[in-house]
Amino acid sequence: MHRLLDVGLEQLTVSVYRMGEVAEKAIDVSITRFMDGKDATAAVRELSDVLAAMTVEVENKAFELIAKYQPVASDLRIINSYMKIAYDFERYGRYAWDISFTHKKLAGLDKCAVNSDLMQKLAETVCEMVSKSVRALKQNDGEMAKSLGEVEKKADELYFAYLEQLSETKVQNKCVMCNLLVSRFLERIADHTTYVGESIVYISTGEKISLR
Amino acid sequence: MQSFGLNAWFGTKQALKDINISIKANAVTAIIGPSGCGKSTFLRTLNRMHELVSGAKMSGQVLLDGKNIYASDVDAVMVRRRVGMVFQKPNPFPTMSIYGNVAAGLKLTGVKRGANLDEVVQRSLEQATLWDEVKGDLKKPGTSISGGQQQRLCIARAIALEPEVILMDEPCSALDPIATAKIEELIVSLKRVYTVVIVTHNMQQAARVSDFTAFMYLGQLVEYGETSAIFENPKNELTEKYITGKFG
Repeated sequence: MHRLLDVGLEQLTVSVYRMGEVAEKAIDVSITRFMDGKDATAAVRELSDVLAAMTVEVENKAFELIAKYQPVASDLRIINSYMKIAYDFERYGRYAWDISFTHKKLAGLDKCAVNSDLMQKLAETVCEMVSKSVRALKQNDGEMAKSLGEVEKKADELYFAYLEQLSETKVQNKCVMCNLLVSRFLERIADHTTYVGESIVYISTGEKISLR
Repeated sequence: MQSFGLNAWFGTKQALKDINISIKANAVTAIIGPSGCGKSTFLRTLNRMHELVSGAKMSGQVLLDGKNIYASDVDAVMVRRRVGMVFQKPNPFPTMSIYGNVAAGLKLTGVKRGANLDEVVQRSLEQATLWDEVKGDLKKPGTSISGGQQQRLCIARAIALEPEVILMDEPCSALDPIATAKIEELIVSLKRVYTVVIVTHNMQQAARVSDFTAFMYLGQLVEYGETSAIFENPKNELTEKYITGKFG
């Protein structure tokens, strides 16, 4: 049975899926160029701005649907969760920008990540988490979303191990400062992937869980 | 109130099938479901109004304070005094004043005119949040006030008999949004003193005013639980389809 609400929900879904793609790209560009010692600020800034604008669009659309149709049950869970996920995707974009900006400003685009296996592993792990969160959303896969919790623990371990490594280093240079900040941004992105995972689980089961 | 194995028929057509429910005291319970699902019939079995319909019959038990209201030694009129009813369309007695409408039930049960009656009328109109609007017009006909006021007058008439339970069968369906809002506020305030059971087709109304919601379909109770849970995450797929409008 076709409902008037379905048209709006479809538009909202398309927007949030699109945001996922843009956010994934922003993270990928930012981290890849950080690893390669290349400037990503302009490209990532553009993507981050797109995400910020789309978050407002999603929020406006969600409010419109709530006001017009007073959705309940799975409809309400989807709308509420999409608003939260849109915010999380916006944060992906913002942290991607922070990484690119820090890399350029503090490290002068040096290949800082090559000095640490831990840093490289953390970056790879976070990229995988971001892709998985977007994939779980598109496939409405609660189990895949739940698995983000385990990966997040691994990301945390890498982050804290890296901090430990930094605390023991005698050298204080621009790469150390850059990597300190970038690792923190990566850790925060990993956190947001679990928030996206929690929202996906809530959409599919109505269950409110914590993945952290 | 509780029902156990409650069945009801109109002639050979079974309208209720094995309804088992425990209605919480001092709370608002909403009964929702598509037309013909048995909502109103169920409501009418709770104060023995179902048996007033020609050819209607029922089986099972309805307990009020632990006593079966269908037991042979129970007076149906007394049941209806303890379990009041408010109908879809406001139905004040057309020949009676506002005062007379509220006092009507009491007079029928032997309460004489005087200070006590005045007190009950005032208290009932106050509880129905109508007193301030009509206190200077008590002698005017009950039908001279607006539709929303008439519905609150009918609620005052039910309250005057000091029932334990108030049943409401789509009490706002004939009212505009402002009058509806006033009745909804009233319903929520009434639960401090009474147990309220409301049948409504308006899903948002059920969500707004009730603490518990029961979803009925084809004469059966499909799901019953806290309203917040029913409207956020219903357990039954039929409930989900109905409240999200995916039915049919």
